[in-house]
Amino acid sequence: MTLRDTPTGRDMAASRAASRAASWAARLAPALETALRLFLAGLFAYASLDKIAHPDQFAAIIRDYRLLPQAAVPFTAVVLPCLEAVLALALALGKWREGALFLSAALLAVFWVSLAVNMARGLDVSCGCFSTTKDSGGSMLWYIFRDGFFVLVGLAAWYLGVWRRRRSPGE
Amino acid sequence: MLLIRKTLMQSFFLVAMAVTAGLAVNALRPDGLPLAGAAPSAVTLPANETDIALKDAALLSMSKRAIFLDARSGFEFADGHIQGALSVPVDDFERIFPGIEKDLAGKDAVIAYCDGEHCPLSGELAEKLTSRGVKNVYVLKNGWTLWNAEGLPVGKGQ
Repeated sequence: MTLRDTPTGRDMAASRAASRAASWAARLAPALETALRLFLAGLFAYASLDKIAHPDQFAAIIRDYRLLPQAAVPFTAVVLPCLEAVLALALALGKWREGALFLSAALLAVFWVSLAVNMARGLDVSCGCFSTTKDSGGSMLWYIFRDGFFVLVGLAAWYLGVWRRRRSPGE
Repeated sequence: MLLIRKTLMQSFFLVAMAVTAGLAVNALRPDGLPLAGAAPSAVTLPANETDIALKDAALLSMSKRAIFLDARSGFEFADGHIQGALSVPVDDFERIFPGIEKDLAGKDAVIAYCDGEHCPLSGELAEKLTSRGVKNVYVLKNGWTLWNAEGLPVGKGQ
């Protein structure tokens, strides 16, 4: 009977492995969090450019989604790209982390639901995600898959940047 | 709880910044979007002239956004007129106008018409209306003939 086979030995080995994994995670998490945050910042910055340049075309795309009342469309077309730009800035600078990461994940989730709703009712909308040109390529399924990935990135960034930090003392 | 409050506060400020920036940029740029305003209408009312097209007049008539004024004689009016129109022979304008003034307010279009391509009565009536401060006055040229030719709803009698 070796030490390893005793209950205490097994526990110790397991806890050593667990603590090694935890320390790796602790070391990797900040880097991963920064990477995800900067990825989101780039995503929103890139997404906002074409929409800020062409508000009228973006308004037409929002109208095609058939989700907002007519009266709310121009306001949304004007404000939404700016919100993306503001989020990109906050994410890039790491300022107002809680709000910025929450809004990012929420916004991406709203986009995903909007696409899913329209796919469910058979409307083939132009995404308006990164380009205001109609028929800028891609199918609904691809948009939903792509935005689903972004939602996961948003959630992961929020988890690492907000939820995980919340539990570590001294932050 | 602190986290929720922090999240909400920061989200609020981020959205407020976006709204402010968005509205400011939109106000400053020459091709800014009109933010308020009625839903787009299929009716095109001419901006600088008084002639209205039959299609527009018919649409406005159906949705009761227009009122029609028949500039012909009372006899011709009784023989047949655009449904819902009021009889306002140009010579009797001063006598009739006070009684119908309130019916003209708030309409998208007050449409004068008579009959014939070169009939001057509707134009004269439109001028009198405008000079008395009536807004949105238009002329449906050759109105009675065009209206009849399309089989649009008509009325008879006084």
